[in-house]
Amino acid sequence: MARKFGAADFYSGLVLAALATYIIVQARQWEYLGPDGPGPGFFPLWYGIAMAALSGVLVLSSAWREKSAERVEWQKIGRALAVWFALAVSVAALKPLGFVASFAALTFFIAAVMYRRPLALAAAVAAASAAAFYVLFPLALGVPLPAGVFGF
Amino acid sequence: MKEIAALAVMAFAGSFVEVAFAQGFQPTRPIEVVVHTGPGGGSDLLARAVALMVEKEKLLPVRMQVVNKTGGGAAVAAAYLAEKKGDPNTIGFFTGVWLTSPLTSAEARVSLKDLTPVVRLVLEPAVIAVKTDAPYKTLADFVAAARQHPGQLKQSGGSITSRDNVVRQLLQKHTGARWAFISFPGGGERMAALLGGHVNMMVIEPAEAGEHIRAGNIRVLAQVSDRRLSGFPDVPTLKEAGFDVPAVPQVRGVVAPPGIPKENVAYWEDVFLKLTRSNSWRKFLDDNQFEDGYQNAAELARFYDEFTDRMREILKDAGIKTVR
Amino acid sequence: MEILAGLMQGFAVALQPANLLWCLVGVVLGTVVGIMPGLGPPATIAMLLPLTFLMNPAGAMIMLAGIYYGAKYGGSTTSILLNVPGESASVVTCLDGYQMARQGRAGAALGIAAIASFIAGTVGVLGLMLVAPPLAKVALSFSSPEYFALMALGLAMVVLLAGRSMVKALLAMLAGLWIAGIGTDLFSTTSRFTFGRMELLSGVDFVVVAIGVFAIAEVLANMEAREETRLLPVPKGLRNLLPTVQDLKDCRFAFANGSVVGFLIGVLPGAGSTIASFISYGLEKAVSRRRERFGTGVVEGVAAPEGVNNSETGGALVPLLTLGIPGSGTTAVLLAALVLWGFKPGPLFIPENPALFWGLVASMYIGNVMLLILNLPLVPAFAQVLRAPAFVLYPVILGISIVGVYSASGSLFDVALLAAFGLLGYVMRKLDYPAAPLILGLVLGGAMERALRQSLMMSEGSLSILVARPISAVMLSLALLILLIPLFTKVNAWRLRALDS
Repeated sequence: MARKFGAADFYSGLVLAALATYIIVQARQWEYLGPDGPGPGFFPLWYGIAMAALSGVLVLSSAWREKSAERVEWQKIGRALAVWFALAVSVAALKPLGFVASFAALTFFIAAVMYRRPLALAAAVAAASAAAFYVLFPLALGVPLPAGVFGF
Repeated sequence: MKEIAALAVMAFAGSFVEVAFAQGFQPTRPIEVVVHTGPGGGSDLLARAVALMVEKEKLLPVRMQVVNKTGGGAAVAAAYLAEKKGDPNTIGFFTGVWLTSPLTSAEARVSLKDLTPVVRLVLEPAVIAVKTDAPYKTLADFVAAARQHPGQLKQSGGSITSRDNVVRQLLQKHTGARWAFISFPGGGERMAALLGGHVNMMVIEPAEAGEHIRAGNIRVLAQVSDRRLSGFPDVPTLKEAGFDVPAVPQVRGVVAPPGIPKENVAYWEDVFLKLTRSNSWRKFLDDNQFEDGYQNAAELARFYDEFTDRMREILKDAGIKTVR
Repeated sequence: MEILAGLMQGFAVALQPANLLWCLVGVVLGTVVGIMPGLGPPATIAMLLPLTFLMNPAGAMIMLAGIYYGAKYGGSTTSILLNVPGESASVVTCLDGYQMARQGRAGAALGIAAIASFIAGTVGVLGLMLVAPPLAKVALSFSSPEYFALMALGLAMVVLLAGRSMVKALLAMLAGLWIAGIGTDLFSTTSRFTFGRMELLSGVDFVVVAIGVFAIAEVLANMEAREETRLLPVPKGLRNLLPTVQDLKDCRFAFANGSVVGFLIGVLPGAGSTIASFISYGLEKAVSRRRERFGTGVVEGVAAPEGVNNSETGGALVPLLTLGIPGSGTTAVLLAALVLWGFKPGPLFIPENPALFWGLVASMYIGNVMLLILNLPLVPAFAQVLRAPAFVLYPVILGISIVGVYSASGSLFDVALLAAFGLLGYVMRKLDYPAAPLILGLVLGGAMERALRQSLMMSEGSLSILVARPISAVMLSLALLILLIPLFTKVNAWRLRALDS
């Protein structure tokens, strides 16, 4: 599917306009000027207004900009999002599994699935880098890492 | 770095022998000491100083390890302690902010009252200071000037729930004068604002003031303390200066996670009582111009209520919404 | 003469074998904690405090200061090699440093960072030695209106950090201001934009955002292609791993710029090295003849911010030692250390402890030389890291990012935020929003709002305080001038086009 380049500006402009609206609505609930000086609503109101104005400019200008026919390469984006999803899962697993196990799993996923390395090699890399992190941070430098059910 | 830390431990290793207590509870792992400030913050420094003194005085069979859980005033540290329910090897160092931030922030759900009180350790008095070239010789001069020009004099301080502002609110209520309170996040900036003449007055820790007095930069008008501090024998207390308001100290002490048996609390009370009777402790208090504020767990629990009630009233007077 | 005598006395202290050793220990430790993202000097110094009681105060002070300025040397390493800012002050180094690494010039970037650090670090000590007491007095005349003007000047740098679209750069900056506004308002204790999460009460840590939008987003973008098995080219031969004579020539102004800007802003207790590094980068770009190539890997873009964060340490010691006023977490721990050793930091500290002060100054000259000798040979070694295949290196970058964030705050919530900001950084990149303005807004937003509100409290609501004070007026006009630069170039472009047709 070929999306037009202007569409990116159009939709991201809309998202930012929504954020600006949220900021302004919130800021209006806080005191703007108090007895001693500006209140908590003062600064957010102004950058909210600036954001609303600029996102408006972006949306409008994207509407009458010449549309470029640059194709969006969804397959590449899919790869990046897959890695992000794996990262998110391993971050969520930090608490139950601990850093070493979830980091090894993430490494294994990237090596074996994303880069199609042989499973044995991927497993070896995962084990080695997880071990290296464990030796370097908690053991050598005394930096605590999240520990899980395995105790590390 | 671990090696060096280990070296430091070895240097103190001798101290781990020959420690025996009558109680049933003995810590088995290094004690995790939770503080709500980053390295260099008030609680962090106190906790590290206490850890040092405890080692020097051989009061614990294990090491104390300071863990910084910053965020949300003290909300993150308090929530972390609440999560450690029943853990005998964790304690925390609290300050008044552990009681006030649940009053002002709906998000700070864990209060000191949800944790196990252990002991109160330190009361930090304060002094009211102005620049040497300011026209105010006494606190009454300052108050009179503030009354003459309402809202034009300024005080630099920390957050609006800090002790600095509490003293201001109490004085304003007592005298009817009004002056502005300008918040600065760092102690250094507060002091710089006073020394640079950008504000007129500041409530300041005595140890910090001491050097600037000696150098002739600032003058102390009154001390926020019930009796005169050893370092300031000639400066009147608030009451002596004619202002009958409570001398609100900054308070620091120790709490434990919820669900801790009584014997553990008794053990900690004993450790800290011994600490407060040691020579290192007396020197530490003296260097920092702190006051001994030792209270045991039962007294501390009562103190919570008094403190919270007073804070709630002060915040109301200051026009700050309380959520609890 | 007095200074010369003091310095002689200082070298007599600093050259004692034990103190030399402590200086070496300090700078080596500093380099290590600087390289490790998240592991910062304040935590390290706090951990070592118990040990310092076994040492004499001069040696201890020399060692702790060595950690402080040594960390600034190490901070550039991961910024350049992996796009992971090792210290908050090294965020700006990523902009051109990582691009240089991508072009196979990692060694040159690391080398120039070490040289800039050495020059600026030495200038910082010179400043500390020569002008500390008078400069501290000047710094005191700086207050909220001046800080506001300084932040406005910093914010104006956004026009220099913009990519193709100024509107998008400004929007990214405003989003940064918004993120900076998350948390409890200092003045009123109002919770702002916290979504009911107590973890957000004290705001979003800037390191989390910086590592997310730089390092994680970079990894995600690189994961798009399957074929690339090697991250970056590493040239063979030692000569290609070090800066060339041309590089050094290109950096002449950057060395001076970094040294002066860093020291001056370092003296101010309310500013900090991150702000200083943005300002020097902007200054460097504003005066450069190849302005358009900044952000694509120019060597000055590395030298200026790396110089800044080293001369800043000399500057930050000025208010600490002459007034007892700490300006940052690290100087606060150093202050506490002085108190614990039984000193009374304050206006009388230097006159009453000349041996300690001059010993420290002398040790900083020695320490900077040690750091240069230590760091230059490490450059080729570090550059080899990039030879690792992508399927090894990318997970390691993700792991270092997680560890860096977790060790800074001990919070898993922050690690989750890191992942979220990584995605944001990737999306911004896809949609052509520049990341640097977001970081700029985030760094300056909080301090700018505070300074504005403090100023208006001081003036009882009158905005004239911002322009009535000379220093602030000058800086605000400069900011305005910078903001107008793109307008001029645009008008010029229109004029040329009109002439053409």
